[in-house]
Amino acid sequence: MRSLVILRRVLDPAGIVAHRRLRRIFVNRERYLIEPADHCALEAALRIKDAVGGNVVVASGQPEPDEDTLRRGVAMGADRGVYLCGERFEEADDAVVARALRAVIHELGAIDLVIAGATTLDTGQGQLGGRLAELLGWPHISGALSAEPGDGRVRTVCRRGSDYIIVEADLPAVVLMAPGALKPRYPDGVRLINVYRGNGGMEGVVERWKVDEHLSLTETSPLLELIGRDFPPERERGELIEGTLDDVARTVAEALRSRLRV
Amino acid sequence: MDASYLDLVMAQQEESFEEATGGGGLWVVGDLVGGEIAPVTLEAIGAARSLADSLGAYVYAILLGVNVTEHAYLLYQAGADSVRVANDPALERFAVEPHVEILGALFEEEEPEIVLLGATKTGEALAPRLAQRMDGGLIEHVTAVKLDEMTRAVEAAFPVYGGEYFEIRACREARPQLLTIEPGAFAQPFLDEYRQGDPTLLDVDMAAPGVRFVGPAQGFRPPEEPLSEATVVVAAGRQAGDLALVEALANRLDAHLAGDRGAWDAGLVDAGHMVDVRGVSIAPQVYVAVGIRGDTFHNGAMEDASFIVAIHPDPSAPIFELADLCVQADPEAFLPELLAALS
Repeated sequence: MRSLVILRRVLDPAGIVAHRRLRRIFVNRERYLIEPADHCALEAALRIKDAVGGNVVVASGQPEPDEDTLRRGVAMGADRGVYLCGERFEEADDAVVARALRAVIHELGAIDLVIAGATTLDTGQGQLGGRLAELLGWPHISGALSAEPGDGRVRTVCRRGSDYIIVEADLPAVVLMAPGALKPRYPDGVRLINVYRGNGGMEGVVERWKVDEHLSLTETSPLLELIGRDFPPERERGELIEGTLDDVARTVAEALRSRLRV
Repeated sequence: MDASYLDLVMAQQEESFEEATGGGGLWVVGDLVGGEIAPVTLEAIGAARSLADSLGAYVYAILLGVNVTEHAYLLYQAGADSVRVANDPALERFAVEPHVEILGALFEEEEPEIVLLGATKTGEALAPRLAQRMDGGLIEHVTAVKLDEMTRAVEAAFPVYGGEYFEIRACREARPQLLTIEPGAFAQPFLDEYRQGDPTLLDVDMAAPGVRFVGPAQGFRPPEEPLSEATVVVAAGRQAGDLALVEALANRLDAHLAGDRGAWDAGLVDAGHMVDVRGVSIAPQVYVAVGIRGDTFHNGAMEDASFIVAIHPDPSAPIFELADLCVQADPEAFLPELLAALS
């Protein structure tokens, strides 16, 4: 079983402050995390490797310089990393990343399973996996809580409403893991040092894959353009809700509904 | 004047307009929940209607499922100019591939300028594949839209870090522009009972679903997310009263159940679920404090929450200075009302 895991990083939300009055974002502590859902995806791939053997390749899923994320992935147990880079890749959106990953998969050959996170912590955008599945012509399962291969299929548990159901797809397939689905293992300390130093057979374990050499100018043109940022109005704290218990309950329920999908 | 002549002239104008704009208008992909039209579909039609009026384009809606023709009237009333429906028993259970095949074939023919879907499980699964098939740009979880009339591009805002701020993106060149609309972000449109029409039935070739339903996952328990990473937290304090009600609220909101130091002292929560600078510090999107007075150690551990609801009988409780919504009430009396309002 040969799996490819897409790894992205995200700025730790605890280190940033969005100042609504000044309409600016202050990064007080620049610390990056592996995207929680991608972290689960890597754990799922490593569990498959532990159970049935094979190997795991981690590939970057965003244009930001995140070689460290891949190194951590290798330290957790992945066999190699593919770091996507290039001048034309710097402005890439998910459509461009999906095209680059398709090229990587074709070059690697014989990938049975692509596992990625279903959504991102910051923007909540979850189109990368679906786009890649469509480009590859593979089925995709979104919001998976587990992934178990067998008999040429991958079987997963997904949440539907308040129930859990089992769904399966023929391999090769794309599985998109829900955040929090699995508890990721810690990176192996010695392996982490070796990945950085290139010792213990870890030299060149994270290879640089130049997107510009594999994709045409059209293929590296992003479809989306960032126009700007907007901020919600300043927070007004301490608003006491007046009225009967029934009225107050309706107001609170409405406020909760507008923020959560309940 | 002869009415049929007027119809002919209008049809010719419509044809020349569509040739000029090179697009088949704005399309809304309908979503069904429990056999009914999802509210977000109507909200999407409302948003499409206002964009279409600025662009001088038509709004089309499409519904896929079993016996869905009966729901078409609601889409017309909400603002759709034309409705297409596909009825097939194979569409009863949602599967990505058949939906993408049907919509892809239809959109290839109609060349939509903008496609809107609800940001539901269905919409989130469909939109990326559809966008890739059509080579279109996709912006997800859209909460506001603005039109750039020069380029006919939609500038769409979506929340970042649970609404701490919003990013605005646009797809300037590629068509169609696909948007998934966040439920509740757009107003429900006025339902005009005088707007009527006959839906067009689509002949569909069903593709085999790539993902198969096997059965229910009996006894499956997902691992518990650490409290520090929870997005929704309901926490109980000394004044919470009946803990079963607090648990019921946490279940209803799909939230983590936690407590303050007082709840930990009373043995209601363990140390891993104590919201306190000496326990766990959190920054969830929603925090509901039930019967928590709000001492410095507690407030310091949760003040970064994006939205705070506090329920406490004492109006001078310090938690009220932090909360976005303050409910001065006995939690035991208030929670049943809140649970009823949420159901």
